[in-house]
Amino acid sequence: MNVLGSLSPFLLLSAELGLVGAIQSEEGLSQFGSCNIVSLSRYYIDIRSAMPNKRNTKKDLHSNQWVLLAQESVIDVPDKAVCGPVFTRLRNPKTGTAALYLFNSGASQVYEVKAFDEEYRSWFIGQSVQHDGRLLFVTPLDPLFLILPYLIQANEKQGKFQPVDQVIKDEDFPGCSNVLNCTRTLQSLHHITDEKEIGNRKFYKYNQEKTLGWLKKKAEQTVKALKDTSISVGGGVQSSMLIRNKPVTEVTEEDYLRYAHGLLSDYIPADLSIELRKFLELPAVPTKTAVGEPPSKKRKISDKPVEAEEDYTKFNSDSKEKKPSKMTAAQKSLAKVDKSGMKNISAFFASKNKAATKSI
Amino acid sequence: MDLSEFLEDSSKNYRLVSAVPAACLTEDCCLGIDEAGRGPVLGPMVYGVCYCLLSKQQQLEELKVADSKTLTEKEREKLFAKLDEANDFIGWALEVLSPNVISTSMQQRTKYNLNALSHDAAIGLIQYALDSGVQVKEVYVDTVGPAEKYEAKLKERFPGLEVTVRSKADSLFPIVSAASICAKVARDHAIQTWKFVEDLGDINLDYGSGYPNDPKTKDWLENQVDPVFGFPQFVRFSWSTAQAILDTRAVPVHWDDDEDDNKKEVSSVLSYFQRKTEGPKDQPHRFFTERKLVSLVNL
Repeated sequence: MNVLGSLSPFLLLSAELGLVGAIQSEEGLSQFGSCNIVSLSRYYIDIRSAMPNKRNTKKDLHSNQWVLLAQESVIDVPDKAVCGPVFTRLRNPKTGTAALYLFNSGASQVYEVKAFDEEYRSWFIGQSVQHDGRLLFVTPLDPLFLILPYLIQANEKQGKFQPVDQVIKDEDFPGCSNVLNCTRTLQSLHHITDEKEIGNRKFYKYNQEKTLGWLKKKAEQTVKALKDTSISVGGGVQSSMLIRNKPVTEVTEEDYLRYAHGLLSDYIPADLSIELRKFLELPAVPTKTAVGEPPSKKRKISDKPVEAEEDYTKFNSDSKEKKPSKMTAAQKSLAKVDKSGMKNISAFFASKNKAATKSI
Repeated sequence: MDLSEFLEDSSKNYRLVSAVPAACLTEDCCLGIDEAGRGPVLGPMVYGVCYCLLSKQQQLEELKVADSKTLTEKEREKLFAKLDEANDFIGWALEVLSPNVISTSMQQRTKYNLNALSHDAAIGLIQYALDSGVQVKEVYVDTVGPAEKYEAKLKERFPGLEVTVRSKADSLFPIVSAASICAKVARDHAIQTWKFVEDLGDINLDYGSGYPNDPKTKDWLENQVDPVFGFPQFVRFSWSTAQAILDTRAVPVHWDDDEDDNKKEVSSVLSYFQRKTEGPKDQPHRFFTERKLVSLVNL
């Protein structure tokens, strides 16, 4: 509980973890573009299908219970709100494929949904078992990221000022127009577009220069956040099981900026990511070689014939001279060890026979 | 024999000892070691030591202690009572190894097998006797595994003692017979008065001998399987009998250190040279991959 305790502004939504309630979905979300959280009390969120007749008999591979970590404000429902929090599929700005997002009640803010998903984990929730040990995170997202690809595309195609509701349209993801309803969206559009006001209507056109300036500020903010949270951004080989908390080697400003650029690139189209790299004056290849990697040896070009630098012939000579190997003291003592009940090392490479199970 | 403290928390090992006879602190003693409940899939394994003044060995033989396997349960109880009464020259100590400890030891990441577990229990009891001031000079042990190796191991651990390891020592040396009676009585007590920590409701307690080849025991195990949790702690999970029933009747559980090759087939070396369908540009940033964070499409 200590870990969770440190996340005080967040709520953990799960039955018996003692903090809030359980979120359950009977059908899962797979069949529906979006799904309403229907009955919503402070402590219990019940998800039902929006289209109960279209029941899919195929059992949902995924869960019927999730453990979700969210800001309290996500599930706050003001009395006058028309709808509660809604999960929606929108176009991922980087890949262009579907990804899951969440609008809070009243759709004043959009959140991205990410899951901690590691092998060999399950939850015990109350008196039940949830086979996937996923922990869902619902974190606020700047809505501009979501509409940026649409603006870029419109600019490439039409290249003219347009009303924004005509640009943010997607047959595959009808939910995307909700992004415009978020409180921050229209107020901050000027960061990435030029505006024109004709009559009472506003017209917008994508401006890459402004956008890069805006992204540069984001990168700087990210660098600050990376420093504040002491996230390891240095090079070197990283173990997938190990996240270093302390910087092991001296980390340069460039490392921080590169890391921030990498993070931001997960939220913008690939072309823009390249533009941003140039704009931030980051070289395509890191200036210093990765830690632990030996400097690459380059053979100097010359007219002289290439000759072997080392004498390999000794390996080809007769091995008759080899004396019968004597066991070292360590090997001898190893040979004396009681090996009863121990597997021969070759047993690990033999084909497994299921019937031969561990016995007493 | 009072095992109530063990039965209150049977998830841990428990040591029960007699008072040390005053004479044993000054005069030379011999010590016998034997175990009960090595084979069963149910209940604890009990290690027992019995020590006796070398000068009073004749009296020990007069008690007619014999190999516990040749005696009925009642006869064993009687003999144990006699041993306990002879507390002016005989002392005993028991190590009750919880089935839970046996299961977890044998199934932990670095395997700790039953032989090692047995040897360590025996060593622990000899050390206990020495620490209590018993003047142990000779040690007789019924063997677990090859007798010579076990004997060498004990001699190395206790260089000052004369150690004899023999198979069937319980019928050869009266002091080992006495130890075997103590262990067997303790095991019987524990089995008969077992308190299940689990809430099993009206559980059928007719589990037979507890040995894997007993059809009654097998039936009982098959009826006790919980699809998620498997068996109560009374069962040694590490036994192949228990494993086989879990494999067929319970939900499969995958562990990090499973040697489950069926699932992950060994990929051909060539696959490492193939062009990746997913370019590195589509990969999430290492911030996310290092933290095992993924985007979702479905819930």
